[in-house]
Amino acid sequence: MEENKFTFVKLEESAAEHIAAPHYSYWKSVFRRFFSNKVAITMLIIALAITLMAFIQPLFSGYDPLDKEFINTPSMWYLPPSLEYPFGTDQKGMNMFDAVWAGTGMSLKIAFIATTISTVLGVIVGAFWGYSKKLDVIMIEIYNIIYNVPFTLVVMILMYILGQGQWQLIFALSCTSWLGTAYFIRVQVMIIRDREYNLASRCLGTPTSKVIKHNILPYLISVIVTSVARDIPNFISYEVFLSYLGVGLTEAEPSLGRMVQNYVQFIQAPNASYMFWIPICVCAMISISLYIVGQTLADASDPRTHMI
Amino acid sequence: MKRYVLGRIIRSVISIMVVTCAVIVLVFMGVPRDRIFRQDQASLQKLASKPDELTNYRYNKWEDIGYLDFQPLSEMCTNSSDDYAACMVPGSDEFNRVVEQYEADGYTITEYETSDLVFASRDYSPLELVWNFLTSFIEIDHPNVIQDADNPDLERRIYIGSDFNGIPAVKCTGCEHEYLIYFDSSFPFIHQNWIQLNFGESYPTFQRRDTLEVISSGQGELVNAPTTFPNGTTGNSTLNLHTCTYKPTASMDRMDLNKFDTNYANCMSNYSSPSMINLSYIFGIAALVLAYLIALPAGIIMAQKKGKWQDKLGIIYVNIMISVPSLAFIFFMKLIGNSFGLPDKFPQLGFQDIRSYILPVIILALLSTASLMIWVRRYMVDQSNADYVKFARAKGLSQSEIFNRHILKNAIIPIVNGIPGQIILCISGSVITESVFAIPGMGKMLPDAIKANNNTMIVTLTFIFTALSIFSLLAGDILLTFVDPRIQLSSKGETR
Repeated sequence: MEENKFTFVKLEESAAEHIAAPHYSYWKSVFRRFFSNKVAITMLIIALAITLMAFIQPLFSGYDPLDKEFINTPSMWYLPPSLEYPFGTDQKGMNMFDAVWAGTGMSLKIAFIATTISTVLGVIVGAFWGYSKKLDVIMIEIYNIIYNVPFTLVVMILMYILGQGQWQLIFALSCTSWLGTAYFIRVQVMIIRDREYNLASRCLGTPTSKVIKHNILPYLISVIVTSVARDIPNFISYEVFLSYLGVGLTEAEPSLGRMVQNYVQFIQAPNASYMFWIPICVCAMISISLYIVGQTLADASDPRTHMI
Repeated sequence: MKRYVLGRIIRSVISIMVVTCAVIVLVFMGVPRDRIFRQDQASLQKLASKPDELTNYRYNKWEDIGYLDFQPLSEMCTNSSDDYAACMVPGSDEFNRVVEQYEADGYTITEYETSDLVFASRDYSPLELVWNFLTSFIEIDHPNVIQDADNPDLERRIYIGSDFNGIPAVKCTGCEHEYLIYFDSSFPFIHQNWIQLNFGESYPTFQRRDTLEVISSGQGELVNAPTTFPNGTTGNSTLNLHTCTYKPTASMDRMDLNKFDTNYANCMSNYSSPSMINLSYIFGIAALVLAYLIALPAGIIMAQKKGKWQDKLGIIYVNIMISVPSLAFIFFMKLIGNSFGLPDKFPQLGFQDIRSYILPVIILALLSTASLMIWVRRYMVDQSNADYVKFARAKGLSQSEIFNRHILKNAIIPIVNGIPGQIILCISGSVITESVFAIPGMGKMLPDAIKANNNTMIVTLTFIFTALSIFSLLAGDILLTFVDPRIQLSSKGETR
């Protein structure tokens, strides 16, 4: 053994502190996981296409459900789908293409706003509810009273009291569903709250805000995404359902539910049943695609699935 | 256990009453009261040329429904004046005194449009609304209810007798109803008139009938059947003698005297179709049974073949069912059903034809299968990793034996708990299914009542639906302790 085969290496203090772990970024992993699912990508494209169409097309068409321009022009009635009228026209000569996109836009708007309100409110209240035992005593009683009542019933009665309209519907949907989200979050917070690492954190004197921000919230992301993924298609479904029953939106507001209600009479008509099936199909497509995108995103946002 | 159940029942009742009272306050305070006349334009138009009668009509209706206390001048004078004649003259001293007295009591005095007479009205406060509802809510029939000056010798007692068919029944004279408890061939076979719930009159649809009567009495055409009347005569009649109530002697006519030997001659009729409430029960129960018949085997197969094509197919089905809006699903199923020759709407073939029921029941059942299937699968998969399963496998039992004898028994526990909870789903499902198929049931009644601004009906339906769902949850918990004796609802000693 010869001494010149060795060289001296300077001792690096910081290298000893370095933990040899692969670089991990939460959001990068979420997206890598999400984009590895081909069905989810297809559904994302469909959902994006429908969403963009629903919000941009009405800006150009200026569709108004009360506009009866061609009501006395029989040549404009019952035109089957063609290049000029991709979805055809209805019994009053209205362009179905404009109507469907305006209605979809309204449904999406209601679903997005109601989901945002109920999620934000639900997460904030749920986090405190799970963390404070005093609040729990009161909240659980309120929850027991309200949760036992069928959701449909509460929304319908609220719509009756508030009157029809989009903002009333958003209010009715979000003020009945936030409690469910809050309860969901409360259970999750309670599970995580007393875990050993949180106890350790608290023993070491970490302030509560930091515990919530660093130890609890990251855990909740996948739970929140799951609840959002469930809420959006649900709300779309509810808008269609209530408008169909005639207690949702007014005549003056474009809506898929009202279209279904108006055109259900043509379901048996051999040449006019497209009027009924097009809104139903668009409504089904949008909620299926949003649901699958949401479910995949929820799976991907769970850090436990990020292990390689 | 008994204490726990009693406590739960008390809490459930409180819960129901809180919800009902909240709905009453919201509906009566929140909805503009002119809206109730929207569906009653015919009556309003008839009175349009007589503004004073129109005012009276409107205020009387509001009083009937429970919005306010309405007193026309004649009533004001009878109530608070000794000199009726002087009081009825507008401008007189007595008149001014009565008016001032009413104003001091919080009444609003309004002058009629054409005549110079006045009337007093006072809106109920939310507390009074709730109080009025609660005090008149339960009516218990007892032998001293009937006060008829023309019939001073009315016997007053409750006794066990037999009805017109010779079946034993608890009868009463002096009560409002002749039969307090009786049996017959229609569901639920034992009926009572002892305790009646009072929700007020239905308006503007189904006018002059109690809301509960509207949804619980038969529908369709009257049915003639050979009947033996209480005084022995026989004949064809539509009357349902079980429902007879007291008729004051003054209003008994010759027809009544021919048939009845007592004053209980005010009977309801037999109808060809079941009542709204019964129709909804038929659909609900049939759909519930069918849902379990489909979802239990499907969920078990999915768990047994986890990861294979059966499982994947089931998961696709569940995802589609959850994500597709129920309305779209219903119409899609309806299209398939119609191509098999099933009717498009319930009234097309009517309630006697079994084909009217098939499609709505299948749709209602399928709507609730998705969540059931996914839970059955979840529980069974969770159980299949338990130690006792490994042990059973080590003993050499076959896979199907393990699944059917061991896992199913344990996995069924949470599912049994969910059976009554499925009723809640059936309620929501029934609202839309009944509307789509035009089934005259309670589910369709709710949106109809909302569209017609029928306040009392909305309160009634809220009460029924809330009570159904709350008690079904309680029943689910009690059922749990029967299926699994290890589970105790009340904790002994320590509290969590």
